[in-house]
Amino acid sequence: MNDPLFSQLSTLGSSIVLLFGIILLWRKSLHAYIDAFRWQSVVLSVMLLITGTFSNDHELYAVALFLFILKAVVIPHYLERMEKRFGDHRELQPYVNVASSLILSGMLVLLAYVITRPLVLISDLPTRSGIPLAMGLIFVGLFVLVTRKKAISQIVGFLVMENGIALLALLGTYGTPIIVELGVFLDVLLGFLVMQVFVYHIQTTFESIEVDQMNELKH
Amino acid sequence: MMQTLFLIMVSAYCLGALVALSGGRGSLGRGLVALGAVIGAGAGFALAANVILSGTPFTLSVPDLLPLAGGLALRLDPLGAFFLIIIGLGAIPSSIYGAGYSEVYEDGSASLRLLGLALNLFLLTMSLVTFADNVLTFLLMWEGMSLTSYFLVMTESREAGTVRAGIWYLAMTHIGLALLMGGFIVLMNGGSGAFSDLRTSAASLSAASRSLVFLLTFLGFGSKAGIVPLHIWLPMAHPAAPSHVSALMSGVMIKMGIYGILRVALDLLGGGPVWWGGIILGVGSVSALLGVLYALMEHDLKRLLAYHSVENIGIILIGIGAGMIFHTYGMMTLAALGFIGGLYHTINHASFKSLLFLGAGSVLHATHTRNMEELGGLIKNMPWTALFFLIGSAAISALPPLNGFASEWLVFQSLLGGFNLPVPEVALLMPVAVGMLALTSGLAAACFVKAFGITFLALPRSEAAEHAHESPLSMQVGMGILALACIGLGLAPFAVVRLIGGVITGLGGLPDTRAAFTFNLHLQTPGAFGQMSSPLVFLGLLILLGLTPLIMRLLRVNWQLRRGDTWGCGRVGQTARMEYTATSFAEPLRRIFAELYRPSRDVTIDFHPDSKYFVQSIEYRSEITPLFERWLYDPILRLIRFTARQVRKLQAGSLYLYLAYIIIILIILLLAARWF
Repeated sequence: MNDPLFSQLSTLGSSIVLLFGIILLWRKSLHAYIDAFRWQSVVLSVMLLITGTFSNDHELYAVALFLFILKAVVIPHYLERMEKRFGDHRELQPYVNVASSLILSGMLVLLAYVITRPLVLISDLPTRSGIPLAMGLIFVGLFVLVTRKKAISQIVGFLVMENGIALLALLGTYGTPIIVELGVFLDVLLGFLVMQVFVYHIQTTFESIEVDQMNELKH
Repeated sequence: MMQTLFLIMVSAYCLGALVALSGGRGSLGRGLVALGAVIGAGAGFALAANVILSGTPFTLSVPDLLPLAGGLALRLDPLGAFFLIIIGLGAIPSSIYGAGYSEVYEDGSASLRLLGLALNLFLLTMSLVTFADNVLTFLLMWEGMSLTSYFLVMTESREAGTVRAGIWYLAMTHIGLALLMGGFIVLMNGGSGAFSDLRTSAASLSAASRSLVFLLTFLGFGSKAGIVPLHIWLPMAHPAAPSHVSALMSGVMIKMGIYGILRVALDLLGGGPVWWGGIILGVGSVSALLGVLYALMEHDLKRLLAYHSVENIGIILIGIGAGMIFHTYGMMTLAALGFIGGLYHTINHASFKSLLFLGAGSVLHATHTRNMEELGGLIKNMPWTALFFLIGSAAISALPPLNGFASEWLVFQSLLGGFNLPVPEVALLMPVAVGMLALTSGLAAACFVKAFGITFLALPRSEAAEHAHESPLSMQVGMGILALACIGLGLAPFAVVRLIGGVITGLGGLPDTRAAFTFNLHLQTPGAFGQMSSPLVFLGLLILLGLTPLIMRLLRVNWQLRRGDTWGCGRVGQTARMEYTATSFAEPLRRIFAELYRPSRDVTIDFHPDSKYFVQSIEYRSEITPLFERWLYDPILRLIRFTARQVRKLQAGSLYLYLAYIIIILIILLLAARWF
């Protein structure tokens, strides 16, 4: 079980998942956001399959299937519908420009390494080298939430952060029990639906999906 | 037996609250709400009397009801029972009175549902405060009492100023609660919160933490009792509330502060160094004097009474402070005398202050104004209210043979015993307190000459006062009960002192001192230092009254009935505008105490355009400087507002900023967890 192949595969997978997160900061079109999220989820379900194979935990196959259906098919589908409805919006003026965003995300990943260092040091899991990457992905998701203006990019940021949490759980514990996992999926789905409703309301109220407009609600 | 009474008490209050919830309108609804309160208070009264007379506490523990910090622990010992009696004494007449008084809200100007609900729950939680036997129960019931009374204050929330008064009350009472929590946390010291455990564990606390507990709880309870300078909410909240609620708050609820001080300082902590008593005595003296001085300048009848509550709380604290000082030096008989004086005045104040507030409520009910300058001559149209108010005024002015005299006399006696103190510096405190108390009593009498004279005597100063009507029977009954209580408590000090002597026996190691008093027709203090007899005074007054016609006959006085102008002074064509007003009556005192009041006066004279020898109108306005508001509370409020404005900058309204706060905090916390 302490297979060097498994260790390398999990590190590689985590890196790809993180890269898809960082792509969000680089691209501007909302369509690219959705694609990045979809491919990230695909890689995440593949990682679940790999972990399930190496740890002989067949429940993980079911989790992988659920994750694939939800995050690679259903949610991206609805995101695209939303995007079509609002026309082709681009993240034109984020609060932090692309170059600075990339530098800052690099620093956030470094920070994740600093924070998770004690955990990695005492752990003897083959997957331990991916843990800082998962933590870094959570930070990147949060960073997207804070700096991007369009409501859809914020939803994607939230979902990416959620993927980071799922990845951390997978690397740290080889997946939580399936019942917990299902609960989390339901949470994500509901959270997504609620946010979708909000976005439609923001659109009808402000005729724009820039969350910026909500500043007007003060006073 | 006791169990049954307890259940009757709780269920009657709950039923009253339920009836109120289902509407509580109409004379039947209001009557049923009042009935619940009366039966509940009556059962509590009976239970308390049972505990005091038998000397055995009533215990009930419900640990499962609230499986936290010991659950609900109820135990009614004689001290708690004494205060439960005070609740009964105030609640029964006030509730009867309230049934009639709240008729004015039938037009929808206030929610009768909320009023009845809050009233019953207020009485229930306040009663349970006296039962509390652990910290959790105590604080829960205390907070219940504060919150329900807040809603009672807010009954007339559409009137101007009520909301402001409510906010002040809520703020002050929660500052008090925070102080109390702090005090109890130090007192518990990580151990159990049961009062029986605290009594033993308090001895092992360091002297500094004991004093900290005392200071925190004294201030906390003091904010409820209304000591200066925490009295600020009383003159705001009492006038804003419906009158029977004012009677309950002023007559009964603020006494819970006294209960708390005695419970913690004397019972749980078992007394302390001499400066504890000194602080209580000093704060009491200052409260008494300032309370009456501000009352003198007040022309709003209910605000005037509220300031008198500050004064009387001061008198009660003088007695208790003297008791604490003697207790420190082990002079138990004198200590008992001080405590008895304080507690006696507590129950007396509950009776006459409730009576006066109910009387003021009747005046308000009849004339729709509380401003004394618009009243006058009410005695003709409202003879019963006037009689009851007169009895209350005489009692609060400490005129024998009414009850105020008996208790103030006892407080004086305990202070006069101060020359026995071994330490001269402390012994010197006592005569100073005697002086302040004496001045207070005199000023209080002057103030009630004003309150009664300007309101009920003289000629009516307004249309409303001229067409005043007597209040309905239920309100008269409520006042009548309290007037009888004032007379009864005054005529039987020998019985009351004996009862209170039993109540305080055992608190903080006080021995049974009842044998040191001589209880006959007259009451003799320990050591035969002083004695007095209210019944004999009463008898003397009766004889004097009987002798008067005899002497008049001897002097061949003209018996014919003559009618003259009210306050005519021989003038012809007397009108209401020529009379003494409340302002003019208080003017000499305003000048004497100008240093304190810092009055501002503003006279505008409008002359006739042709000659300045003809005056068309004179406008006179005079206000006193509210010292505590200006120098204590305003700076604090400014500071709070300034800080709030600074903090508000964080709330910029930008969603991204809030999200950024989250990520920054997350990173800081993670880093902190990494390195610490």
